[in-house]
Amino acid sequence: MIAEAGHYALVLALGLALIQSTVPLLGARWRDAALMNVARSTALAQLLFVAMSFIALVTLHVTSDFSVVNVYENSHSLKPLIYKITGVWGNHEGSMLLWVSILALFGGLVAAFGNNLPLSLRAHVLAVQAWVAGAFYLFILMTSNPFLRIANPPIEGRDLNPILQDIGLAVHPPMLYLGYVGFSISFSFAVAALLEGRIDAAWARWVRPWTLMAWIFLTLGIAMGSYWAYYELGWGGWWFWDPVENASLMPWLAGTALLHSALVMEKRNALKVWTILLSILTFSLSLLGTFLVRSGVLTSVHAFATDPARGVFILLILCVFIGGSLSLFAWRASALKQGGLFAPISREGALVLNNLFLTVACATVLTGTLYPMAYEVLSSDKISVGAPFFQLTFGPVFVALLLAVPFGPLLAWKRGDLLGATQRLLAAGIAALIAIALVWAWTYGGATLAPLAIGLAVFVVMGALCDVAERIGLFRMPLSISLRRARGLPRAAWGTMFAHAGLGIALIGIVCETTGNTEYIGAMRPGDVVPIAGYQLKLDGLTPRPGPNFSETIAQFIVKRDGATVSTMTPSKRSFATRGMSTTEAALLTRGASQLYISLGDATADGAIAVRIYHKPLVLLIWWGPVLMAFGGLLSLSDRRLRVGAPKPAKAPRALQPAE
Amino acid sequence: MTLWFVFALMTVAAVFAVLWPLSRSRPSGTGGSETVVYKDQLAEIDRDLASGIIAAAEADAARVEISRRLLAAADEGQREAAPQANLKLRRVAAILALIGLPLVAATLYLRLGAPQLGDFPLAGRSLVADASQPLVNLVAQVEAHLEKNPTDGRGWTVLAPVLSRLGRYDDAVRAYRNAINYAGDSAERRADLGEALMGTAGGVVTADAKAEFERAIALNADDPKGNYFLGLAAEQDGRKTDAAAIWQAMLAKAPADAPWRPLVQAALVRVGGVAAPALPDSAMAAAKDMNDTDRSAMIRGMVDRLATRLKQNGDDVEGWLRLVRAYLVMGERDKAMSALSDARQAVANDAERLRQLNEGLKNLGLDG
Amino acid sequence: MTRKQRRLTLICGALAVLAIAAGLVLNALRDSIVFFSTPSMVAEKHIGPGKRFRLGGLVQPGSLKRGENLAVSFSVADGSATLPVAYTGILPDLFREGQGVVAEGALDASGTFRADNVLAKHDETYMPKEVADALKKQGHWKDDYGAKPSASAAPQPAQGTMR
Repeated sequence: MIAEAGHYALVLALGLALIQSTVPLLGARWRDAALMNVARSTALAQLLFVAMSFIALVTLHVTSDFSVVNVYENSHSLKPLIYKITGVWGNHEGSMLLWVSILALFGGLVAAFGNNLPLSLRAHVLAVQAWVAGAFYLFILMTSNPFLRIANPPIEGRDLNPILQDIGLAVHPPMLYLGYVGFSISFSFAVAALLEGRIDAAWARWVRPWTLMAWIFLTLGIAMGSYWAYYELGWGGWWFWDPVENASLMPWLAGTALLHSALVMEKRNALKVWTILLSILTFSLSLLGTFLVRSGVLTSVHAFATDPARGVFILLILCVFIGGSLSLFAWRASALKQGGLFAPISREGALVLNNLFLTVACATVLTGTLYPMAYEVLSSDKISVGAPFFQLTFGPVFVALLLAVPFGPLLAWKRGDLLGATQRLLAAGIAALIAIALVWAWTYGGATLAPLAIGLAVFVVMGALCDVAERIGLFRMPLSISLRRARGLPRAAWGTMFAHAGLGIALIGIVCETTGNTEYIGAMRPGDVVPIAGYQLKLDGLTPRPGPNFSETIAQFIVKRDGATVSTMTPSKRSFATRGMSTTEAALLTRGASQLYISLGDATADGAIAVRIYHKPLVLLIWWGPVLMAFGGLLSLSDRRLRVGAPKPAKAPRALQPAE
Repeated sequence: MTLWFVFALMTVAAVFAVLWPLSRSRPSGTGGSETVVYKDQLAEIDRDLASGIIAAAEADAARVEISRRLLAAADEGQREAAPQANLKLRRVAAILALIGLPLVAATLYLRLGAPQLGDFPLAGRSLVADASQPLVNLVAQVEAHLEKNPTDGRGWTVLAPVLSRLGRYDDAVRAYRNAINYAGDSAERRADLGEALMGTAGGVVTADAKAEFERAIALNADDPKGNYFLGLAAEQDGRKTDAAAIWQAMLAKAPADAPWRPLVQAALVRVGGVAAPALPDSAMAAAKDMNDTDRSAMIRGMVDRLATRLKQNGDDVEGWLRLVRAYLVMGERDKAMSALSDARQAVANDAERLRQLNEGLKNLGLDG
Repeated sequence: MTRKQRRLTLICGALAVLAIAAGLVLNALRDSIVFFSTPSMVAEKHIGPGKRFRLGGLVQPGSLKRGENLAVSFSVADGSATLPVAYTGILPDLFREGQGVVAEGALDASGTFRADNVLAKHDETYMPKEVADALKKQGHWKDDYGAKPSASAAPQPAQGTMR
């Protein structure tokens, strides 16, 4: 009954989406408030039914009901409970259900907390949201239905794949989805604005919190995915320019650009058409991301569902939504009124530059990701575009962007003073030069680019600090006034500081990891000692240990520094004999922001074991940076001015708290 | 019955979600407007000015700009027609919800869903483990056992054929190799290994598989499986006369009651060797009967699943043929015939598939 | 500046950045793309020593040899040709004889493929997509690898009736 109820709930959600996608539009056309309000209750009901459906699937996985094909194929009664639950979205059908659940969640949030939106705008937004939802419900029901049954249920499920039993793999896809799908709201707002033919500064204020929310989740999702790859795949890399990773990076770049251009629009009523276009593009890239992962068009480390029939359906959805919205854009954009004026050197100008660099960076990633596919179609040769391509294209564009980052917040709106901004950034510049000199002296003879890159990172971090210092008049005024001003500074300004500083901090991590990395690869016997980056690692012994359904070889390493024992590390290798599979469990030792990383290879015949040891200086900064950025985003989101549903400060308690 | 009650309840809830806002004459939220945002922005400038974050001149310029937007928004708001009630449209929407929604939901669900099936949570089932599926559980147990005692040759010997049956050919190959390592080499194991290798290659006698069959023959020149598949290898290579020769030699040496006799004869007919036209069905069924009940029960489970799948999607000609063949092998000619007519119906609209089906049926010895 | 001039400045700036980016992309595409080949394609195309490419195929069963200091050698086959591969380092967990593999590197003067990176990347069917495609194209691929095991539950007529 659970399975069938879940199935029926999904069908009902489709029915509601069909109503929600038409009735409110008619209502807006004939200005009937009740009809427009239908969007609200149907969106909430949709959320209810999709949530029921999702909970039903989770229950089926937890109770191991193998009469459901999806459970039979992707679960096993011996799986630990947590992996039974995460296994729900570890497969294609379940992950699509999660996708629409999140879509319905966002639709429900707009319905519940969109009190400050004009009635017709809300009706339009929810109607567009229902178009997207309807298409995906159909897709799920027709091509990837998780509720199909087996009449004669088997007693045991098929999947106990050890590689997929990992908590990191379980958590990062929902995060990414929250990001991808969150951008559907800005898409719906954009299409709604085009349908209404009216857009102004208030629109940007309304759309920004939603964009920011999606951006925060996407930032965290990407960071978590990268960390997962780092510790799980066992060769210490954290970014592979893999199509699946690129698919998440592109909406992030476009979404970041959107956040900034929406700011210009909110403050100055300018860049309206461009912001609309970016909203459409960002969600299109999110859809493309879904498509790249789901259809298996591109070969990828992550490929876990490859089915061309589904691909064709998704391609159709892509064409309809991207093509449709872009056509609508081409048709209606010229009707939108022009906005405010500004000089090229101004805050607006800086944000335009930011948008330019971000979109160009996004375009290079898109080129690199799609080029192999296009090439194969045209010449039937297979090629791969790897890291060197992206380093040569994405790299320079991003360096230019980072150089410009500290200037932006220091320029005034409308007409800025570049010289003044430069003067105020003097401290940051000096700090950067000192950093360059220090790093250069320290790594004398090493990579020449590394000190420069560190200098750039320091410049970005210090620039962010300078901006806040300037605003609160630190060192210019008495400390008490500065403190008072600091308290009065909008949280969005603090958010900007953290986000920009996070960018610089991530860059420091990236540079240190790529240039200061020391590694040892070789065969070790018990008793052998390897010196690496000031540490002495002694392989103490190899202990076999039986696990529940695998046998494990654990290597014990004693880590010493200057003769004193620091810690022990126990990387292991698990082998699943009946499945002929083995997995490597890397051991990580965190010292400050640096890490020692050991992963094991195969044992050789003479009792030695292949070992890979890395010392990665400051590697954790790579992920602290994005976490800081997300924190900055959260601060901005908590800014009173951006709160959803709180048009007046007095109504603040009703505000939507940022989702955890 | 509860299920339908739950469905009805859910449908009512969904319909209610549409009707509720329509029924309210005075909608609660009339929605926000742009003026609120601009007023908020003006207040914000005052705050910023008070705390000294922006200069007075900047604040003035911003105020002028926002005020202009505020006025424009207020103008627009007045020009816009006031919300009005359109009763005719509301009635249409209500009808859409009352009739359209249940109709769409019911149609779609009845096409996709399986309301006749109850829940089968594992907890409720393991107590009454049905006799039809004990193997999969056993496999898990044996696998766990072998994890701890990987050198147990007997365990591998037991596990390997089961894995092969379950379609886990890769694992079966490994299991057979282990069985040979730890329980000793034998013609039968070699031939079984070869067959599993064929399974991994989708039924093609690869070079590896052939090597195993040859090893089997080297150990026991009369091993029926090794001989048969070497013949099949020859057939797949296009050397039909060689295949025929191998199979004829087999038949010549075989005892008259060998269970595999009809199969080899059928194969011989296929390559145009000497005809031995006894229809193999009943004999094959007889051969099947000699197998343990477990196995036949398991095969039945698979066949049922195949049948269910084909009921949902009838395009799969290969699947239909396999189903018909399976019923024949199990000695259920009636079911085979009904499956056959189902298949004809399912692909009737597609000439190409129909042709494939008929050709396949001919190969099975069923001309119509 | 007038409105027109301002917009012109913006557009010119944007075009300049785009042009630079396009230049970067074209330059990078010329230098840093890597072709994918199977052993028989290597033989056909006479890929010279030193040119980097990705080699894909099946690891020839029985060909894996481990030497001193993590040196490994194995052969990659695609049904009609094989190519010896030498690699130093740790092979990935998913590397197995008889399964698909993709190695990146270049041929040396003796015709051995010197790999500096070995990827055994695949989904649950143990087959990198590009390898499967290449094998299919060359006709060494019978059934679709992605076919569900249920489709082979009742295999060839001969199988299962011989016991």
